[in-house]
Amino acid sequence: MTMHLLAKSDVPRFLSALSGRFEMYGPQVHPESGDVFFDLAADGSRIRLDAPIPVNSPKFAVFPHWERILSYAYDRENKEVKIIPEDLVRPKALVGVRACDLTGLLCFDRFFLGQEFVDEFYRAHRRKIFIVSVTCTAPFPQCFCVCTDSGPYAAEGYDVNLTDLGESYLLEPGSEAGRALAAELGLAEAGPDAARRRDEAVDRSISLFEAKAVENKAWISRAVNRLTTGFVKNETWEYIGKQCFECGACSFVCPSCSCFNIEDVNRQSGGTDRLRTWDSCSFEGYARMAGEHNPRRPVEDRRNKRFFCKLSYSQSKKYLRPGCVGCGRCVRVCPGDIGMTNVVTAIRRDITG
Amino acid sequence: MDMTRNAAAVSLPVPAEITQIREEIEDVKTFYFRFEDPELERSFPIRSGQFVMCTVFGAGEFAVSLPWSPEQDRRHLSVRSVGKVTSALHGLRVGDKIGIRGPFGNGFPFAELSGRNLIYVAGGIGLIPLRSSIVHALLHREDFGRIILLYGAKSSRELMYRPNIEEWRKRDGFETYVTIDRPEPGWDGETGFVHTLIEKANVPIENTTAFVCGPPVMFNAVIGELSRRGLKDDCIISTLERHMKCGIGKCQHCAIGRTLVCTDGPVYTYKQIKTLGETI
Repeated sequence: MTMHLLAKSDVPRFLSALSGRFEMYGPQVHPESGDVFFDLAADGSRIRLDAPIPVNSPKFAVFPHWERILSYAYDRENKEVKIIPEDLVRPKALVGVRACDLTGLLCFDRFFLGQEFVDEFYRAHRRKIFIVSVTCTAPFPQCFCVCTDSGPYAAEGYDVNLTDLGESYLLEPGSEAGRALAAELGLAEAGPDAARRRDEAVDRSISLFEAKAVENKAWISRAVNRLTTGFVKNETWEYIGKQCFECGACSFVCPSCSCFNIEDVNRQSGGTDRLRTWDSCSFEGYARMAGEHNPRRPVEDRRNKRFFCKLSYSQSKKYLRPGCVGCGRCVRVCPGDIGMTNVVTAIRRDITG
Repeated sequence: MDMTRNAAAVSLPVPAEITQIREEIEDVKTFYFRFEDPELERSFPIRSGQFVMCTVFGAGEFAVSLPWSPEQDRRHLSVRSVGKVTSALHGLRVGDKIGIRGPFGNGFPFAELSGRNLIYVAGGIGLIPLRSSIVHALLHREDFGRIILLYGAKSSRELMYRPNIEEWRKRDGFETYVTIDRPEPGWDGETGFVHTLIEKANVPIENTTAFVCGPPVMFNAVIGELSRRGLKDDCIISTLERHMKCGIGKCQHCAIGRTLVCTDGPVYTYKQIKTLGETI
């Protein structure tokens, strides 16, 4: 595969070429708070390839927080119903996607497209997506992708991957569309030492990641083993349950959480929208049925399901890997201090309160 | 929109017209319907034990088991008014439209049941998801050994499908036992909980499969009695109910442990149910 060099001074031209044919999504720095959000960019030049890891994952671009999946109008007088499918296909470029978040998207692909049924709404979003991933040449304090085999360098799933080599990016096309873009921009071919410099950058990054992961106590594989074999004490789940505020933030920031709710909402002007919204298994009403029977009422019953879903072997089969991609966002947002790494620690040490 | 499987009715509900409504018992009505699309009306292949997602326009969508037998019955759904959407359904009249997605789920494993005794044990509206299976078994009577229905409800007013039961009772080779919890004036049938009928019917254990469906208390009592008599866990079949939003294994609301009721179920053996690792 031919690799190219993208001079940093050429990044605006690169972004502008994508802007011409895609809605642009990427990391942007909030002017006041300084926080980085992965968001729709009004203008491609606002995307910062060198920004720190965004507080949110890019999953909303293919799986929106809420969206209309269809609408209908029922005229009860004349008994006529009109069902209108939604056109969800819009070409989007996701630029500056980190390896962990890209792994999350690949989990989505396997789950939404690769099971018994295909999720047509997801497929519509996914059909025309162009992905520019970036190698993380240094970890952020929350990160542990080296423990979950999902970074810091993306192995697959991108159209173009960029690795910062100092004065320029190494641009590796991963698809026909990526190759076409490189050709169209007339980018110089990378010299024979480029791959070596990339590997050095990745190796250096991994060694820095390892230090972070030790600090994070992210020994995921041990927890995978204990969850899969069921050797987690009830008291440990009760402790985790007690810490949970049931806010759902962990699910919402997670690159691989994909539970959703569906609700029909009547418009003031007549007609009904069928909305699909993000949901979280931490919510009390998640499994509650009509008639109030709730098989998952106790919070610890709901909490252990999330970690079971992320880490147990049987659940991992749906993604062909563990569901956790090591982005560390749940650790950052959890007000009860039971983000993934803390739960892993609790499971490993049988912490019970 | 591009549909890969069962093109019409996976992602989008297809319209159907309510052609008849029958009051069954308090809060339960049966809605007969036909599809607007003549192609679907001609062929909407289901397996006994599957379910559909039913849209009540303007209210929402709910999962509901299929009581009809494709070989004999007109299509219908029997629904208890219990929440927002089902009570909106109960407000509909003949001629109104509903939407259907499906059918979904695995269905009863009839291919493995040939030659066996079939015991149907139902409590209250638990008879609804077993109805199509009973009709199927009766239509293929020669394929099975003894066929026994043990049915119980709190009172005679809460017995589902009474005309059907009377009709089945007259059939040769169909043993019917019906009980209500307490004696009441005018009731000359059995009284007591449904699991006591297992003894009265002298239920066979060898070469037997039991279908059990009803509220949790009844379910546990029946399973306990059948197990005590030696019926193996993998010879007990039930169909589970869960909050469902998509029907196709994506929304995850119906997860029980490692299984999804919508695509792996809703029909499970008791052996499978015991390994789910979560309350049913």
